[in-house]
Amino acid sequence: MAPGVERSFTAASTIEEALAARRQGASVLAGGTWMMRDPRRGVDLPEAVVALHRIPALSKVEVEPDHVVIGAAVTHAALGRALRGSAGFEGLVAAAEGAANPGIRRVATVGGNLCALDFAAADLAPALLVCEATVELQTFEGPRLLGISDFLKDRHALLTEAIVTRIHLRRDLIASAHIRLPLRQAGDYPVAIVSLAVDRNKRCRIAVGSVEPVARRWTALEQAMAAGPASALDPQRVAELALEHNDFQGRDGKEADGWYRRQVLPPLVKRGVAALLSTEGVAWL
Amino acid sequence: MVVTFQLNGEDCRLDGDPMTPLVDILRQERFLTGTKAVCREGFCGACMVHVDDEAVPSCLKPIGLVQGCAVTTIEGLSSGNQALHPLQANFEAADAVQCGMCFPGMVMSLSAFVRDNPHASRPEIKAAMVGNICRCTGYERIVDAVADCLDQARKAGQLAGGIHV
Ligand SMILES: Cc1cc2nc3c(=O)[nH]c(=O)nc-3n(C[C@H](O)[C@H](O)[C@H](O)COP(=O)(O)OP(=O)(O)OC[C@H]3O[C@@H](n4cnc5c(N)ncnc54)[C@H](O)[C@@H]3O)c2cc1C
Ligand code: FES
Ligand code: FES
Repeated sequence: MAPGVERSFTAASTIEEALAARRQGASVLAGGTWMMRDPRRGVDLPEAVVALHRIPALSKVEVEPDHVVIGAAVTHAALGRALRGSAGFEGLVAAAEGAANPGIRRVATVGGNLCALDFAAADLAPALLVCEATVELQTFEGPRLLGISDFLKDRHALLTEAIVTRIHLRRDLIASAHIRLPLRQAGDYPVAIVSLAVDRNKRCRIAVGSVEPVARRWTALEQAMAAGPASALDPQRVAELALEHNDFQGRDGKEADGWYRRQVLPPLVKRGVAALLSTEGVAWL
Repeated sequence: MVVTFQLNGEDCRLDGDPMTPLVDILRQERFLTGTKAVCREGFCGACMVHVDDEAVPSCLKPIGLVQGCAVTTIEGLSSGNQALHPLQANFEAADAVQCGMCFPGMVMSLSAFVRDNPHASRPEIKAAMVGNICRCTGYERIVDAVADCLDQARKAGQLAGGIHV
């Protein structure tokens, strides 16, 4: 920042106020756990920020019989508390309660986790992919709803003119699981993440995070599983299919090489299926 | 920007860059050097303080976000001249502290934890310490001291509503 220039800081109390500040060039500040490390990445902190923590609508989780709405400024800890014990959301709860470390989880928000551009290891991304979440944005042109896959793919462009306000989930899952592989337990970023879910039609959804730059569904494996009998939810069998249909290009990074991230996927899938089978929701198998 | 908040029970008013990390204000302007800035990335836990009773890393907390909040540092927990927090007393009794660099953060994380989890198991204590790195003591003695603290409080019937800070 130029010497003598005072940084602008707006604590918005409404979404409209936040959007107005955004329109004038302010960057969104949620928990700050990503942004405050910008200087260590050689990036200057923004000259103007707009904080979301005083907007009540963005800080609540609404749990309804058929759907759930998560405010973008909800922290990981609050999300875990709100959904713990809700059948079908075991994976999302595990992601919210297993990411980072307890102090970060009390501060880091859902919106911040999804909007930290170039962060490949976001735990909530694959967990929300298997929920087939819808992302609600407030753009300069008005509100917009987008599937989470499209949001993750296009977020660089989308976020130049938008704020993520809410995440919408249908309650159509009967069980889910979230398996992550950090090199140590002490708050490291996961090397690879596998999220799995079974929906009411007994279809299995699988998503992978941290292996490629952007989390995505593992469609090839989902199709291979759908082609088999329902009893295909056997950990060993699914791990064999995962090996056969491993179409990931692992990214090289500080914690691990790309080949390693790719190679650990079948065993993680095996653990994930075992975790799914231990939930009440799939007792029918 | 002017930011006002409560610091260890007293009013605090600052005029400065709202994106300054709270840890720098504590150490450099308020000389509360119990809070350590070690990794500055949220990984080590040496800078933990309570903001509105929640243990959070102060290295990643811009002061603009503490406007109107209550901040407690290790100095606010006990000045050293008065009775120690039960957890501090247990750490001292168990001789769990070596160089001491990690300990203010360890105490701030775990004091909030014992307050909220009076019946915590050993694995739960360990999970609560995931973000507090100690390079000297070895964690088992710290876990022992926390477990002892909870045990003593339960026996003394103190824990109906948790240990209070
Ligand atoms: C020690 C440590 C360990 C970690 N380990 C993990 C881990 O294991 N798994 C994991 O998933 N993550 C991990 N993280 C990353 C952490 O989850 C992110 O830093 C956090 O989720 C970001 O959220 P925030 O609220 O702090 O965002 P901020 O830092 O406030 O913002 C992050 C980015 O998103 C933008 N933004 C925020 N909210 C919105 C919104 N609503 N609309 C538009 N843009 C927005 C901001 O402008 C900024 O660019 C770790 C972080 C730390 C510090
Ligand atoms: S200095 Fe804040 S967590 Fe290490
Ligand atoms: S006592 Fe030295 S780092 Fe913990």
